[in-house]
Amino acid sequence: MRALAGVDLDLREGEALALLGPNGAGKTTLLELLAGVAPCPEGVITPPGGGRRAIGWVPQRPAVYPRLTARENLALFARLEGAPAGRVDDLLRSADLAGFADRPAAALSTGILQRLNLAVALAGDPAVLLLDEPTATISPDQRLAMWHWIEGLRERGMGLLFSTQSVREAAEHADRTLVLVGGRAVFAGTVPALVAEHGRPDDRGDLGDAAFLRLVGSAGSVNPR
Amino acid sequence: MRRPGALRTGGLLLGKDLRMLIRSPGLLLALLAYPLLVSLLVAAALQESDRRPTIALVNLDTTGRTVEVAGERRSVADYIARIAEETEVRALGPEEAARALDDGRVSAVLTIPEGFVSDLQSGLRSPEVGLTTARRSPIEAQALTRTLESAVFAFNRDLAEGYVDQVVALVDLVVNGGTIGAFGRSGEALGLIRSRELVLELQADLRARGDTATAEALQPLVAFIDTTRANLDLAAPAAEAIRSPIELAVTESGDGREPLTAFGVAAALLISLGLAGLLLGAAGLASERDDDVLARLVRGPVRAWALVAEKVVFGAVIAGALGGVLLGALMLGAGLAPGRFGWWAAALLAAGLAVAALGVLAGALARDTRSALLVALMGGVPLLALAVVPAGGLAGVAAGLTPFGPALDLFQGLLVDPALDTGRLGADLLRLAAMAVVLGALATVATARAARR
Repeated sequence: MRALAGVDLDLREGEALALLGPNGAGKTTLLELLAGVAPCPEGVITPPGGGRRAIGWVPQRPAVYPRLTARENLALFARLEGAPAGRVDDLLRSADLAGFADRPAAALSTGILQRLNLAVALAGDPAVLLLDEPTATISPDQRLAMWHWIEGLRERGMGLLFSTQSVREAAEHADRTLVLVGGRAVFAGTVPALVAEHGRPDDRGDLGDAAFLRLVGSAGSVNPR
Repeated sequence: MRRPGALRTGGLLLGKDLRMLIRSPGLLLALLAYPLLVSLLVAAALQESDRRPTIALVNLDTTGRTVEVAGERRSVADYIARIAEETEVRALGPEEAARALDDGRVSAVLTIPEGFVSDLQSGLRSPEVGLTTARRSPIEAQALTRTLESAVFAFNRDLAEGYVDQVVALVDLVVNGGTIGAFGRSGEALGLIRSRELVLELQADLRARGDTATAEALQPLVAFIDTTRANLDLAAPAAEAIRSPIELAVTESGDGREPLTAFGVAAALLISLGLAGLLLGAAGLASERDDDVLARLVRGPVRAWALVAEKVVFGAVIAGALGGVLLGALMLGAGLAPGRFGWWAAALLAAGLAVAALGVLAGALARDTRSALLVALMGGVPLLALAVVPAGGLAGVAAGLTPFGPALDLFQGLLVDPALDTGRLGADLLRLAAMAVVLGALATVATARAARR
């Protein structure tokens, strides 16, 4: 079974690229493939200078130890990455986790846990960060704080590739957007270009959503399987 | 940033696992209490039937003769008394003994052959006692055979010491002279030293009288005395080499009825260490999948083999420590002499590593912790049973292919064998180490696959 086909993308330093697509489009598969978690039988992945280690991966479900505290989780992954001693405090501060540092991960709210999930991915100080729907399950205020933090990372030169089902998130936080439908890239460009290409004068409400839905509907028959 | 080496990585993960285990009192209790409970129940069950096995004794040496060794008279009755220290002995005729064995009234038949004492006295060949066991209970048979081997060994040791004393005394008499008794009379034996002095005095006397030729003719006698003394000096160490005047021939690989304390301890130890190692190994690796961090670890800072090695060591350390505590408690409870600590440490570690590697393999193959524990239990318990209940044929071979077979052999050897067979123990240790490596390699392949989505 072929999950992805014909996907070609590149990411520059400090650039943010959104993977947009409905459920089952292949967004997670593409991210896992780039992260080295899923096997890549065909195609070429060229990681930034430091190799795969230079890529941080933030899975959709928080991958941390629930019985360890936030500090212990960060300390473990920082030591495994060979990070300097002060790295844990830096991460706790930048993730705004200082107030939750000594609580077990199992006791953290979904939003705080997702911040810990992201902080763990940063323990190795990666050049590129892959985020799988980082704000899908968190409350609006947490989402706002999360994007604020992610934008800060980007401003410091980190390349970002994130998946989302929200056209608005892609428009607000990405320089470019790649739309996947059925494992195939059906659009690459900015959200305004998507609206221009697939929108209609009589569209009402969110123009981006309308253009995206029309694109997905028209490309629905495209399936690399 | 430079990632740490495999050893440091393993240490970090080991510390994390120990911390998480301590913070999971329910899991800790289940993992430790279950094997302890099972092993204690098994030990209690085995101890219950450990009340001196009953054996039938067929004594075909009815001459009533005795043999004198180092001034002490020994007879068949002495040998029977030694056996009776460990077993209930019933004196029966050959046919009645066979019937008793058939219907389970006795665990084995020990036959003392005709001419037992004569053979012992002659010193020309070792008399052979026969042990016949039934096939009903392999566990009991193995334990009973070891008991009788132990009794024969103790009797051999007494006899050997007597023989050695006797030979040394005789050599001393020949060299130094002394009082010798025979047929109710006693007299003085001259001895080589005094004989030499007398010959030298005689030679001096002859030379003084001018009979030099006769004095010279006595010189070969002096040389003979000197040579004989030099050779007799070697007799004492040679006598020390006498060790096994009696041999025990087991004619039927089978059974007795009563498992002994040492076997109960070995079985309880194996079950406890085996279950703990299996469950900890399986849960240790599977929990990484439950927590969704397996992929995060293996894609980045931790190689699959290093993760597997850490889980194996984690399971082995806990299971080995548990085994050590249990062994100490059982030894104290059963009145077994403690010792052989270096060998025990190596045995517990090697067994723990091999068993934990099997558990880690189960953990790598299962999808989550619950499945892993189920797989470990469903696969491990029958294999444990195969090892504890030794059987021939395919089942015996199967038990030998798992870590449990060599581990039980090792434990029994350390608990029971009066003299350590270091070659055999070393071979068992190597087998366990090789199994740990092979199972670990298989677990590494499975873990690498599991980490990929």
